Parts: sequence; structure tokens; C-alpha cells
Amino acid sequence: MINLLSFKKGARHAFGVPAIGLGASMFTFGAYLKSSGFTLLESFTSTFFTFALPGQFVMAETIVAGGTLLNIFLAVLLTNARLYPMTVNLIPIIRHSNYPKWRYYLVAQFIAVTAWFNMFAVHKKINQDEKFDYFFGLAGFLWFVSVICTVSGFLISNYVSHKILVGFVFVNPIYFLVMTLTNLVEKKIITSIILGSILSIILFQFIPDWSVLISGLSAGTIGFLIFKKEKYDS
Amino acid sequence: MTANFIYLSILVASIATYACRAFGVFSSKNLSVDSPIFHWIKCISVGIISAVIAKIILFPVGLLSETTSISRIASTLVAIAVYFLFKKNVLLSVFVSTATFLLINFYL
Repeated sequence: MINLLSFKKGARHAFGVPAIGLGASMFTFGAYLKSSGFTLLESFTSTFFTFALPGQFVMAETIVAGGTLLNIFLAVLLTNARLYPMTVNLIPIIRHSNYPKWRYYLVAQFIAVTAWFNMFAVHKKINQDEKFDYFFGLAGFLWFVSVICTVSGFLISNYVSHKILVGFVFVNPIYFLVMTLTNLVEKKIITSIILGSILSIILFQFIPDWSVLISGLSAGTIGFLIFKKEKYDS
Repeated sequence: MTANFIYLSILVASIATYACRAFGVFSSKNLSVDSPIFHWIKCISVGIISAVIAKIILFPVGLLSETTSISRIASTLVAIAVYFLFKKNVLLSVFVSTATFLLINFYL
């Protein structure tokens, strides 16, 4: 059984800015798939099963460019590899004293940047045994909104002006940026964020495919090592 | 591109994505929130996310690549300024930044 009250609180948290931030991008993704020749069911299936926008874009672009299944697998794996450290980080935060393992493997499907940031922003205010269901509600609602917005983008993008679509695409990175700012508390996190951005810009010139992963890994390690003695604020 | 190939591609993309998540659950099995490794991984996570944001804003693909770099950089700075000037208001910051972005690209 799940704690319905915590689940609802989580879903209510997602309702509003988080859902708008993610939904706007998913809407544009639906529009992109339509203009690239995909069907409605294919668009729906992509968000329903994958639910990680950068990887979904990479998949669609690789298909359009005539890539093989192996190309798609490796490109998506590289793009979505950020989900690995994010999941390692989130699971101990939402750990429940009695829940079986399979529940964590189930909720993992809903882990993405928007839900991750929002959970980290509030988790200290929630009782430990309510965190799992709160996150389930938060991330599950975002997943639901994403599926609906992908389908809506596919169906009604013809009636939306190009300017609005461009604005929608910009909402997501800016929302991520602002959510990143909410994490500027510990020195090691601030250093990791600033270094991650700078290294990404430099490394993109030389190794565009690997620039994000190497930048993040280096920045996080340097930030952590420099301020290793700083008091933890998990 | 045949329908079968597209569905296979979606399956492959979903497996690649879920593998990252499932392996993350597996790796976190005995990890405590008070351990140094936990905090090291959090630093890496935010480092990767900030690297992704920088890449999207400075080297975008798709619709954003049709917009000017100056508009994206200026709107990013506006988002940061509004966030700190208006009591860390997330909604206002995102709204004003997006409005600035559209204004520079389409109306100036």
C-alpha cells in the first residue's frame, strides 16, 4: 500500500511551476516529432516509456539521420547517463523503513531533473517514511503531465505560433537554471555548478559528445575535494 | 523509417535510459546520506546538470539554434538577476526571462 496523503502532497507540489516548466518542453517535443514524420502513437510511446527529454530528442534525431539501433542505444545512454548519479543520490533520501526493493526500481522510472531538484528542495521538511510516496506523487504527476503534453504538442502544434513554440523550448533550460540556483547553499555545490558550466563550454569545443559527462564528473570531484571539510547539508 | 524500426528504437532508448536509473538504485543499496560518497555524488549530479544547461544555452540544437546567442545569454542573466532581486521567486524569474528572450528575438 502507499501513503495516499503523501502521494497527493507530492502531486500537488508538481502542479504549477514544475509541471509548466517540463510540460512546455514536452509540448515542443510532440510538435518536433510531428514535423519529423512520427505518428501520434510513437510520440506517446516515447514519453510513456523513456521519460527523459534530452535522450528522447537524441533518439528522434538519430532515427531521422538514419542511425542504427546500436547508434541509438549508445547516444541515448551517453545523453541520459546523468540519471545514474542522480538516482544514486535520490534513493537514500527517499528510503522507507519497510518498502521492498521492487518499489525503488519502479519509482526510478520517474526520476528526472525536474522531480529531482524539487524533491531536494523540500525533503528536509518531510518525515522520512513519507518521502517515498511524496516523491512518487511528485514525479509520477510530472510523468503524467509529460505524456499529456507530448500528445497535445503533436495534435495542436499546427495551431500554435512559431514564436510561442520557441518560447516553450526556452522555458525548460531556464527553469533548470533557476532550480540550480536554489541549491546554492554549500560551497562545494556552488563550486561544482560554476565549474560544471565553465568546463562544459570549454570541452564542447574539443569533445562535444563527452563534454557534459566529463565536465560534471570533474567539476563535482574538484568541488567536493576543495571543500571536503565543509559541514554536510544533505 | 519503418514503424517497426521506430518502435524498436523507442524500446532501445527506453532500455538505455532505464538502465541508468536501475543501476543507480542498485548502487545506492548501502549508501548513507551522511557518507562522503553521497555528497561527492551530489556534487557530480549538480555539476552534470549545470553542464547540460550551459550546453543548451550556448550550443543549442533544434528550435533554439534559430535564436541569437545574445538573446539566450541576456535572458539567462535576467533570470539570475530576477531570482536574487525578488526574494528567490522561481516563477517570476522563469517568466521574466522567457519574456525577455521572446522580446529580443522577435520584437527588437
